Amino acid sequence: MSKVKLKNYGLKDIMYFTNKPKEREKRIEAASSQKSGAVFKVNEKAAERHPEQQEFVIEKITDRGEGVKSYTLRKKDGTNPAFFRAGQYVVIRQEIDGKLIARPVSISSGPVETLDGTIEVTVKLVPDGFLSKYIIANWKVGDEVKTSGPQGLFYYEGFRDEKKVVACSGGSGITPILSMAKAIASGDEDFELTVLYGSKNRNEILFADEFAEVMAKTDKVKLVNVLSEEEAEGYESGFITADLIKKYAGDDKYSLFASGPQVMYEFLDKETDRLGLDLKHYRKEIFGSVKQPWTLPGYPAEAKDKVFNLKVKMCNKEYEIPCNANENMLVALERAGIAGPNRCRGGVCGWCRSRLISGEVFIPELTDRRRGADKKYGYIHPCASFAISDCEIEVPNNK
Amino acid sequence: MAAKYDVVVVGSGNAGLSAAVSCVVQGKKTLLIEKHNLPGGVASSFSRGRFEFDPSVHEICDVGAGDDLGHVGLIMEKNGIDVDWVTVPDCYRCISKYSDGTPMDVTIPAGREAYIDAIEKYVPGSREPLEKFFDLIYEIRLAKVYMFDGTPNDPKYMQKHFPNTLKTCGYDSLSVMKALKIPQKAIDIIGVYWPYLGVPLDEVNFFHFGNMIDMYVTRRAVVPHHTSHEITMTFMNRFYELGGEAWFNCRAEEFLFDGDKICGVRTSMGDVECDQVLANINPHIIYANMMPKELVPEREKKLYAARKNNLSTRFSMIYFALNKSCEELGLTDYCVFFAGTADSRKEYENLKSIDNDYNILISYNNIIPDASPEGTCVISFTKLFSDGKDWSEMTAEEYYKAKDKMIEKCIEDVKKNLNIDITPYIEEVEVATPMTFARYLGTPEGTPYGFEVKSWDGVIARMTDIEADFNIKGLRHIGAGSFFGDGYSSTWINGDMTAGLACADLEEGGK
Repeated sequence: MSKVKLKNYGLKDIMYFTNKPKEREKRIEAASSQKSGAVFKVNEKAAERHPEQQEFVIEKITDRGEGVKSYTLRKKDGTNPAFFRAGQYVVIRQEIDGKLIARPVSISSGPVETLDGTIEVTVKLVPDGFLSKYIIANWKVGDEVKTSGPQGLFYYEGFRDEKKVVACSGGSGITPILSMAKAIASGDEDFELTVLYGSKNRNEILFADEFAEVMAKTDKVKLVNVLSEEEAEGYESGFITADLIKKYAGDDKYSLFASGPQVMYEFLDKETDRLGLDLKHYRKEIFGSVKQPWTLPGYPAEAKDKVFNLKVKMCNKEYEIPCNANENMLVALERAGIAGPNRCRGGVCGWCRSRLISGEVFIPELTDRRRGADKKYGYIHPCASFAISDCEIEVPNNK
Repeated sequence: MAAKYDVVVVGSGNAGLSAAVSCVVQGKKTLLIEKHNLPGGVASSFSRGRFEFDPSVHEICDVGAGDDLGHVGLIMEKNGIDVDWVTVPDCYRCISKYSDGTPMDVTIPAGREAYIDAIEKYVPGSREPLEKFFDLIYEIRLAKVYMFDGTPNDPKYMQKHFPNTLKTCGYDSLSVMKALKIPQKAIDIIGVYWPYLGVPLDEVNFFHFGNMIDMYVTRRAVVPHHTSHEITMTFMNRFYELGGEAWFNCRAEEFLFDGDKICGVRTSMGDVECDQVLANINPHIIYANMMPKELVPEREKKLYAARKNNLSTRFSMIYFALNKSCEELGLTDYCVFFAGTADSRKEYENLKSIDNDYNILISYNNIIPDASPEGTCVISFTKLFSDGKDWSEMTAEEYYKAKDKMIEKCIEDVKKNLNIDITPYIEEVEVATPMTFARYLGTPEGTPYGFEVKSWDGVIARMTDIEADFNIKGLRHIGAGSFFGDGYSSTWINGDMTAGLACADLEEGGK
């Protein structure tokens, strides 16, 4: 037992100990029972800054040509949309035939415009797309639409990125880059941006006027159009190669930002290898879900084109739904009208995280961004997983 | 109402997970409800690029190893939770100023002998009083086991076996350490851990503080090998194994009563019937929004009015992934405290401002080499605030600037104190503020903790009042604001103990 010799406080100490609760009782007794309610200012501010949902009215629609339209959205309740970092996206949540469909769309306006009450999102019609087709065909001025708060990590980070940024962009992947250019013009961001914008021909180039407007305001933004199927004076032709990047990057250190379709990344990954860029200096926007998983290494050929049975447990409900092997599992949930929370559609954000109870799935390495322990315990991100057998999964509530 | 459960646990943070597993281990039909899409609360992880970060863990106490399991270790063993733990070899390095203003730069190893040797080296003459100090905190360990083993406490037995515990446990920690004649500079070194309890040495009860030192120094701390999300998943796996049900992205909206006894929970998935509810929610929120006002006991209204300015410490965490290894950078310590002063009272006052100097650096790869890909490392900084006011008064632009300023401060702290410039190597950087914690946890003002263990509201006083506090039939409060204090270990213990009480009630009712 203890050898401690303390100065003997004696009975007083025991009293002191036993009196503690009495002191507590006294404090409690002295407090008022009238004040009620739990108002926490930090929580209120957090909810304002990161809204779960924003309800908008479509104020203006701008046809950009090439099946691309921009929608200027103003908050229904008159408050300003959540402030965002140029390059972020919102998730559009649209009910179609009673089913809630969600897709990420880039914000093409600058952050400063939120202070005037609006954001602009840009949607490109994808031939086999579901939501884009609906939006282009149906959205009209005055309609009410819902989005998430701002999401995503594709933005300039001054502590990480070089002062000089070369952006490689293709097709509608230009939208987050345009937002960054606008943010530079308004002073919200401070870096030099050289945009290498790949299009097939001059007709396909989007936002030419918007970039001209930005470049009239600031000399920190430069635009280089790169045409793959046309040669023209004042335009680069071919693809965005390592040599082209080097030509415009010059001798300074630079960060490379890439935003475009899956094929562009596949091409660019090889070019950046040649440039010797490390991962700190090469940032990629999420390109959405993997298409044609059967073209990827490791995919069991026999699964292609099959429709599997998917058992879904969602809280106290159970469903059995068909799951097309060629589409990611989140699409199956969406088709059945039971998709839960989801945002990035590219395996990154983890909002659709679900428990795989049984069955086999194919997870392309390219978009496998699960937590380590989730891999160990069999959790999947349905937006980046493809069923290759009948499966049973447990998903978060969709309400 | 659809299904009926013996117990519904609301909130799958540390206390909720511990409670839920404890209930299924005791054979109870248990439902765990979580408003977020994944379990864990702060015990989680997040990805940036090729890195995975732990949002909160520094080091976890009271686990122990082998034959010497701590309270937490025993609970984990009893409930079949097997986590891949890594032991932390050193307590900390602290770069600060002693109370008398002279500079301090000490590296303190864990383990009683090594710890005493190190302090004796820095402050000669400390050895003898420190031996007494360690004898005393060992006695407190035994007293604590006796007091919290679930059997009635016999005052005579306690007077015989734990006389020094009884003598000291009514006093603040500074007074007891002074009474033991520990030199002030040595008190300053021992006191480095004070922010872990959030209340300065002249106010925090010695029983609590001394026991913490015993747990961190004598028994040594551990960290999970694969972030705290791994701990959470180990709990969940065990919970499912024993037939537990969990609903995610499901909000508990209201507690349902039959007379004055709870009978169910209204959720965003409908009403759920049950006999017992274990709520891992701050009581402020329960009383304001989740139950009929007339059923809130008068005493509880007063208790939370008395506690309204006593929310525990708030945090900002600044996470960096660097594309060089700790070794290449020269970051050799796991944990470094940068403090303006070792005077805990002065520092506590400083923490009211968000511009305070206090900062804790953790370099994970020093004890978990594979915490990040080869040739890289992940580090985090923790800044503390004892008041949340500044955060709620910022515009969006000011908020982003404040975050940037904290990043700058971290870079500066490492440059100034360790002579290392991490700037060229930053591959990822992320900041979590009290706003972030408020957003993900929903806790008051974004504290991941509960209420300060001030002298009048310390753990001993709360334990003594356990019958009087939160006196609502069938509804028990678990978690950071409950009787056992806050932090990982405390809330696991709290969840397990409270689940035991709920299960005992069920059995009394014939279930």
